[in-house]
Amino acid sequence: MPEYVVSSQAYAKAILHCAKYPWAAVQGLFLGEKKEGKFRLTDAVPLSHNWTQLTPMFDVALQQVQLYAKSNNLLVLGYYVANEDPESVQLSASSALFAKTILSINSDAAAFVIDAKNFKTSQAGQPALVAFSYVDSQWKEQTGAFSGSASKGSAKNPATFSLENNQALTTARILVEERAEVGIYDFDEHLENVSLDWLQNNVLNERIRTA
Amino acid sequence: MSSSLALLAEIRQSSERRPFEVLKLAEPLLNKGSITQAGDDVWVVYEQIFLSAIDEGQIELAKAILVILQKRFSGSQRVKRLYGLINEAAGHPDESEMLYNEIIDKDETNVLACKRVIAMLKAQGKYAQAIKELVSYLDIYANDYEGWLELVHLYMGQHMYAQAAFCIEEVILLQPANHYYHLCYAEINYTMGRLDVALKEYLRVVELSTDNVRGFYGVKLTADRIRELAKSKPKKDQLYFSLDNVPQQATLERLSQLATERLVGAYSGASTACKAANEEWLK
Repeated sequence: MPEYVVSSQAYAKAILHCAKYPWAAVQGLFLGEKKEGKFRLTDAVPLSHNWTQLTPMFDVALQQVQLYAKSNNLLVLGYYVANEDPESVQLSASSALFAKTILSINSDAAAFVIDAKNFKTSQAGQPALVAFSYVDSQWKEQTGAFSGSASKGSAKNPATFSLENNQALTTARILVEERAEVGIYDFDEHLENVSLDWLQNNVLNERIRTA
Repeated sequence: MSSSLALLAEIRQSSERRPFEVLKLAEPLLNKGSITQAGDDVWVVYEQIFLSAIDEGQIELAKAILVILQKRFSGSQRVKRLYGLINEAAGHPDESEMLYNEIIDKDETNVLACKRVIAMLKAQGKYAQAIKELVSYLDIYANDYEGWLELVHLYMGQHMYAQAAFCIEEVILLQPANHYYHLCYAEINYTMGRLDVALKEYLRVVELSTDNVRGFYGVKLTADRIRELAKSKPKKDQLYFSLDNVPQQATLERLSQLATERLVGAYSGASTACKAANEEWLK
């Protein structure tokens, strides 16, 4: 039964990436490590907010993320996307394909859709993430993820998802309130200005730590 | 003219979507009344603030501005469209639809209202209908490259890449010197597996835009992939393009080298992590 734990930093960065481009689809990757049998998603690397269905720059970015992950003893553990239509919390065809590509690199990878419209109103302890596991040759929504109960309706080995701590939600809310999203840079922006550090976003990491 | 007004004018000119900044700049102008320094431009500034207000969900502020505009331009179709917009933002699509249809009934050439109708379809998730309406619109207004761009976007959202490619071709016909559209065309073609066209278009990008990093990544990516494919001699029907249409191995190698050189040069100013990743990738 794979267990995924999402850290403050990973959650906040994914949310901020979405907040920076509220009118667009955004996508990125989660990096992390396997510790004590659990998959800890410790960081997020934002990829794109434009032409998100197209493959070339996704290929380049993914290759570079893999190189970065390797030299930092990290694993590529997840794919996240926020759809252009806030009502949609499914994986589009291209998203499903990208997520599958991640799976071929790491069979323990999971996929997430950011549920932006429920960011403010979600119940206590619930992040604005819909989790998907690859089961029976397709991405299946893990209903009840992050709610402390295992996924209903999926037979054996349901995956469980949790946040590192409740502070993760508060941190994300504080950062969105203060418009911290101006400080997150994705690969698309990096391509226009290579001095922007899309792999680490260190300055933002510092802000997340002190929030 | 105050610096805030100058900045607002710049943002209007570039038509960038920066609603938060606009509102921040506008706040003192509205509160202190210094907005009047804009002279005759004050009305477009009000309109700009209105648009940013609804973009940021600040409906009350938008309402207040609309009242000012309505007072000055009562009976204006332009202001009527803003009423349509605020209704959309406040979640009253039926009112908006009615207003836009009234505008179109009065003047069927009012393209802004036509476009709002299409935008509303898109916002409601009715993509097939939005595409249909936009195609009809472009039958009439074939020179509206922004319309074609929107159609590219809609088609890409439906993963209809061949149709998207056709539309971006129309944009390129209208704006051949803009590297951005060649870039889009290159990436759509790459996604469709047409590496021959992708390579050509990426080269066009770097021709039109000096040291375009994205362009050079594309050149190297496609040149290397074509080389690999050519070497492995796949069956004809496995490829989405003809190997007869691509440069020879030697040329591909030189293109790849050129891209590598340029990228290394461009990355001299990058942060350590990114530089390292780039160097590794280039190997």
